[in-house]
Amino acid sequence: MNPRIIYPIPERQSSFYRTLRNIVRIVFLCASAVCLLVNLLVKGKMWSLIVIWSLFSIWKLVFSLRMVEFSIFSHTIRISFYLAVLLLLIEHFLARGWAQTVIPIVLFTFLLLMIIIFYVTYDRKARHLSSIMLLGILCLASIPYSIHSWPITNWVAFAFSTASFVLFLVMVIINRKDILYELKVRLNTKQS
Amino acid sequence: MKQKQNLHLQKLKSGRSEAESVRIDDFFNALDQKLDLPLYGKNLIFQHFIRAFEYYQDQGCDVNEICERIDPNHLGDFFASNQRRSYPLDNAAIIYPLGMKFGQMPMFRLSVELKEDIEPILLQLALDFTMKRFPTFSAVIKNGFFWHYLETTNHILQAEEEKDVPCKPISILLRSYRSLRVLYYKKRISVEFFHSITDGSGGMVFLKTLLGEYFRLHGKIFTYGCCVKNPDELPDEAELVNEFKNAQGKGDFSKFVDKKSIQLDGKLSKTGVTRIIHFIMDSDELKKVSRSYNGTVTAYLCAILMLAAKKSIVRNDGIFNIQIPVNMRKFNHSVTLRNYSMYFNATENLSQIEDKKELIEDIAAQIKDKGDETHMNQMMKITGKLIASLNFVPLFIKVPIVQTVYGYLSNSIIGCTLSNLGVIEMPQELQDELDRFQFILMPGIPNRVTSSMVTYRKKAVFTVIKNCHETVFEEEVYRLLEEDGLAIETEGSVEYES
Repeated sequence: MNPRIIYPIPERQSSFYRTLRNIVRIVFLCASAVCLLVNLLVKGKMWSLIVIWSLFSIWKLVFSLRMVEFSIFSHTIRISFYLAVLLLLIEHFLARGWAQTVIPIVLFTFLLLMIIIFYVTYDRKARHLSSIMLLGILCLASIPYSIHSWPITNWVAFAFSTASFVLFLVMVIINRKDILYELKVRLNTKQS
Repeated sequence: MKQKQNLHLQKLKSGRSEAESVRIDDFFNALDQKLDLPLYGKNLIFQHFIRAFEYYQDQGCDVNEICERIDPNHLGDFFASNQRRSYPLDNAAIIYPLGMKFGQMPMFRLSVELKEDIEPILLQLALDFTMKRFPTFSAVIKNGFFWHYLETTNHILQAEEEKDVPCKPISILLRSYRSLRVLYYKKRISVEFFHSITDGSGGMVFLKTLLGEYFRLHGKIFTYGCCVKNPDELPDEAELVNEFKNAQGKGDFSKFVDKKSIQLDGKLSKTGVTRIIHFIMDSDELKKVSRSYNGTVTAYLCAILMLAAKKSIVRNDGIFNIQIPVNMRKFNHSVTLRNYSMYFNATENLSQIEDKKELIEDIAAQIKDKGDETHMNQMMKITGKLIASLNFVPLFIKVPIVQTVYGYLSNSIIGCTLSNLGVIEMPQELQDELDRFQFILMPGIPNRVTSSMVTYRKKAVFTVIKNCHETVFEEEVYRLLEEDGLAIETEGSVEYES
C-alpha cells in the first residue's frame, strides 16, 4: 500500500510546552510531598500548606488553563480567588493580624480593574458579566470576614469592603437586565 | 486602517465611469450599515469584500454584476447585532465539554474535494454569508452552574489555509470564540467541528450549504432544497431542537455499560492523529461484495476491521467492540442539526473468529438487533435519565468526576468506531463540480484507531484514522479489501510525529 499524500506536511511541532508541563507537574508534586514530609518531621507552623497551595495555584493558573470560556475576566477571578486563599493561609499559619486589611484591598483592586475594562469595552464584553459578578461576590464575602476579625480589623478594611460593596451594587443596578439573563441561563437545568 | 481602505476603494474606482464609482460607493456604504462590529472586525469584513471585488474585476465581471453577487444583504443581520441567544446542550453533546482535558478535544472533519482549486476569497465570503443560517454553529460553549451551554456569537470566522494535522484541538487561548474551523487546501474544503455543536449529519448540512454558497459566488445556478439550504432563509426552529427529550420507551441502565474492549497494539500518540488513510472504492462493487457475504456495507467493513484488529493485536484473546453510531433522523425524519445519533457496539471475541462469511453474518445480525429503533430509543431514554439524575450537581463537582471516569465508561469499552455517513446528495446542477467527500473522526484515548465512511455518487471513501505508529492494521485492511477483488485507490497523510 502506497497512499498518495493529499494532506500538507505540517511544520515540526514544538513540544516545548507539553514537555515543560510534564516536568513542572513532576517537580511540583515532588516538592509538595517533600515539603509536607519535612514540615511534619520538624513540626512547628504548617508552612508546607502555603507552599502546596502556591504550587497548586501556579499549576492551575499557568499550566492547567480552562478549556471552556477562558477570558481575561474568568482568569482574573481565578487569580483573585487563589490569591485570597493564599493570603488567608499565610495569615492563619504564619503571621496573624494583617490579612483582614490586605484581602479587601486586593479584591477591591481586582474588582475595580475588571469593572473599568468591562465598561470601556462594554459592547463586546457584556458576555463576561458573570465573571465580574463572581468577583463581586468574592469581595462581599470579605466583609463578614473583616467584621468577624474585629478589633484587629481597622478602618481601611471597612473602607475598601464598603467601596467594593458600592461598586458591586452600582454594577448590579446598571446591568440588572443582563444579570437576570445571566442568572437564568447559567442556572438552567432544563435540556432545550 | 481607514486610509488603507480608502486607498483600496480609490483603486477599485479608478478608470470607472461616474455611475460605476457611485455604485461602488453605495455598495460599501450599504456594507457599512450591515456591520456593528469593533473596528478590527469591521476592517476584516471590508477587506473580504474588497478582495472579492478585485477578484471579480480580474475575472472581467461588470460592477453591477459584482454588486449583485456579493450584495451585503446576504450578510443579513448577523454582524449588525450582538444579540445573545443561549441553547442548552443536547444529551449527546453534554458529555464532550465535561470530559475535555489538555490537548484533547472531540473533533471531526468533513471535507469535499472539488474538481478545481479553491478560490480562498470566495470561500471566505461564502462563510460570511452562511454563518447566519446556522446559529448553533456560530455559538461557543459556556459554563453554567449545573451544565455547559451554547451561546451565539457574531464573531468573524476566518477560512484558513490548511497547514496542520487534521482535527487539532481549537486553541482557546488564541481564538476564544470558535467551535468550528474552515480550511482549504488545493481542491479541498474542510470543516472541522467540535462535536458538542453537531454530529456528522448536521455538519454535512453546513458543509453542503457552504459549498452551495461558494458555487453561487462562482456564478453557478442551482435549486436549494433538502441537500443545500438557502443561507438567506431564517434558521428553522426545528433544526435547533434537542430530539433526545422526545425519546420513547423504557431505559435500562444495564444496557449502557459494556465489557471492556481490548485495544490495538502500539504506543498511543500524545499529540493526536498519527496517520490518515483513505481507501477509495467503487460503491457498487463494495455493495456487491458485501451482499456476496449476506451482509450490508457496514457489516462488511465492520468485519474487515475485526479481522485487521485480530491480525494486529498479538494477545488477541478478548472482546473487541466496534462502536457503530446510528443516525436517529432516519427513524423519525427529524431535521435537527444538533447531535442526534446514538450508538451500539458490535462485539466479537477476536480469538474465536474463524470464517469471514460467518463473521459478517453475525455482525449483520447484531446490527439488525442492536441498531433498531426500539433499542436506540431505549439508549436515548437511559441517557436522558442519567442526565436528569445529575441535573442538580454543580458543574465544578461534575467536571473532575467525569474527567476521571469518562475513559472507563466510554472509550475503554470500544476498540474502534465505524461511522458511516451514507450517500451524500447534491443538487443536480452541482454534482459534476465535486469529486468526493471525506470524513475524519478523531480517535478518543485510549483508542488507537477509528474509521469512517462516506459515499458520493460512485465513490465510497473508507477512512482509517490512527492514533499510534504501528502499521499492521491498515496494511491488513488494505489486503483484506483487495483479497475480495475490490479495486482500491489509497490516499492519505504522511506519518505525523507523536
